[in-house]
Amino acid sequence: MEKDMIVRAENVDFYYGSFQALTDVTMAFEKNRVTALIGPSGCGKSTLLRLLNRMNDLIDGARVEGEILFEGRNIYAPEVDPVEIRRRIGMVFQKPNPFPKSIFNNITFAPRLSGVHRKSDLEALVEESLRQAVLWDEVKDILDRSAMTLSGGQQQRLCIARALAMKPDIILMDEPTSALDPISTARIEELIDKLKQRYTIIIVTHNMQQAARVSEYTGFFYIGKLIEFGPTEKIFTNPSVKQTEDYITGRFG
Amino acid sequence: MNAAAPSTSLKWRYFRQGLFFGVVRLSAFLITATLLLILAYIFMNGFRAISWDFLTLPPTDAMTRGGIMPAIVGTLYLTVGAIAVALPLGVASAIYLTEYARQGLAIRILRIGVNCLAGVPSVVFGLFGLGLFVVFLKFGSSILAGALTLGILILPTIIGASEEALKAVPQTFREASLALGVSKWRTISRIVLPNALPGILTGSILGIGRAAGETAPIMFTAATFFTAALPRSVFDEVMALPYHIYVLATAGTQIDETRPLQYGTVLVLVALVLGIDLVAILIRSVMRKKKRW
Ligand SMILES: Nc1ncnc2c1ncn2[C@@H]1O[C@H](COP(=O)(O)OP(=O)(O)O)[C@@H](O)[C@H]1O
Ligand SMILES: [Mg+2]
Repeated sequence: MEKDMIVRAENVDFYYGSFQALTDVTMAFEKNRVTALIGPSGCGKSTLLRLLNRMNDLIDGARVEGEILFEGRNIYAPEVDPVEIRRRIGMVFQKPNPFPKSIFNNITFAPRLSGVHRKSDLEALVEESLRQAVLWDEVKDILDRSAMTLSGGQQQRLCIARALAMKPDIILMDEPTSALDPISTARIEELIDKLKQRYTIIIVTHNMQQAARVSEYTGFFYIGKLIEFGPTEKIFTNPSVKQTEDYITGRFG
Repeated sequence: MNAAAPSTSLKWRYFRQGLFFGVVRLSAFLITATLLLILAYIFMNGFRAISWDFLTLPPTDAMTRGGIMPAIVGTLYLTVGAIAVALPLGVASAIYLTEYARQGLAIRILRIGVNCLAGVPSVVFGLFGLGLFVVFLKFGSSILAGALTLGILILPTIIGASEEALKAVPQTFREASLALGVSKWRTISRIVLPNALPGILTGSILGIGRAAGETAPIMFTAATFFTAALPRSVFDEVMALPYHIYVLATAGTQIDETRPLQYGTVLVLVALVLGIDLVAILIRSVMRKKKRW
């Protein structure tokens, strides 16, 4: 059976000015699955992730070569609007970054700007998003309170809810639990497991157990190159490349 | 090693530290004291001149009696006008410089230009305003010409303050908004700007004080020696407090007799500037309470 690949990177090179951060990366991400990107710090995981929703556009002097196909369309083609891409490919960052607004307004900020105005629609959207992010029960009585008063783990789930409210197809997560305590981390991992029924998730993590726990596919990067990519089970039990094995067994960091 | 050595060096260190703190404290005290002294001096000399009539009547008897109402009104118009010109323009320039422009040589030169503008003597602005607004654009000596001139004068202050305030908004807010598929302009107008506004106002307070207090820029562009009437349009000339002080103190026939009036006018000007500052500070603190990160 043919698998449904929602995003493909084809021979992608990426440069920060004259520094080449990614070299000839080719990989495909399956729909409604969790793909983990692992590798030592500085190997280009975040760079690749931010390429997928054109967040690297913000960096002066950055340049991409090759193609990134989202549902078959190159998102770097000149006629493509990056704003449109980012609506369909949401992102959750390493450090929780809620807006200094109320919990309610954090979630409704972007949907309002894309045309949802009726109060009942917005309220329904807030409840739905918070339920999906497993935060509803904790905050349903304090929706007017500033998001800044929440704990770190709650803030990160709020950021996930905020991304879900835009009803994206893909959610990119860049080390979403690295700033959180173990209990919050476990909750986010459970959440990821639930979300993959409806969303495609691509997650960067430096935590190998996390990759093994949450993902179906794992890609191992080293100095800007995709060294090995395949089913998570295979990568963690029977890697084909020596470098991958060395990394997952902790022989180098 | 004898035991006394470390303890004397410790003492010496404490002494040096005490000395340093003393000097710092003394400078802070001197600055505050100077300010209070000036304010007290103005108040002592000026408060006797202040009365209801002084605040609500025009000058009479060749400006040796009566009040300063037209000058108060004129200065208010000019200051508010200058802010209305400089704030939108300054904030827009700052947004361009920090959020849009690619940081390179051209932008560096532009920034240097803005800084130089801040150092240009105010009389030069006065002449510029005279040439451009009064003569070339035929606004005449008017509120419009004066407000525009003062606006340009305080523009660098507003741009500088706005740039600092915009840069202080965490980059993570911009990323969060853009990643949600919000356009750059809306990210700036809905997220960055509201969070920068308290800072922008703080910096602009300096500009407000300057706009209200400057004499040279309005001398040729807006201020008139005397008029009992209040302006009816932005093309009318006005009296202004700083210019009125200048006139009373240098150009009258009875400079010594009008001394109390001069101090009274100075007191009103200082109170006006402090009042405007106070309003800005209040607005800022209300906004700060709402935004916390
Ligand atoms: N904005 C940037 N400008 C220049 N170099 C960058 C920038 N961001 C990242 N890099 C460099 O690109 C490489 C890959 O970075 P990154 O993708 O953040 O790595 P990872 O997420 O795997 O730790 C690193 O060497 C890093 O120093
Ligand atoms: Mg990273």
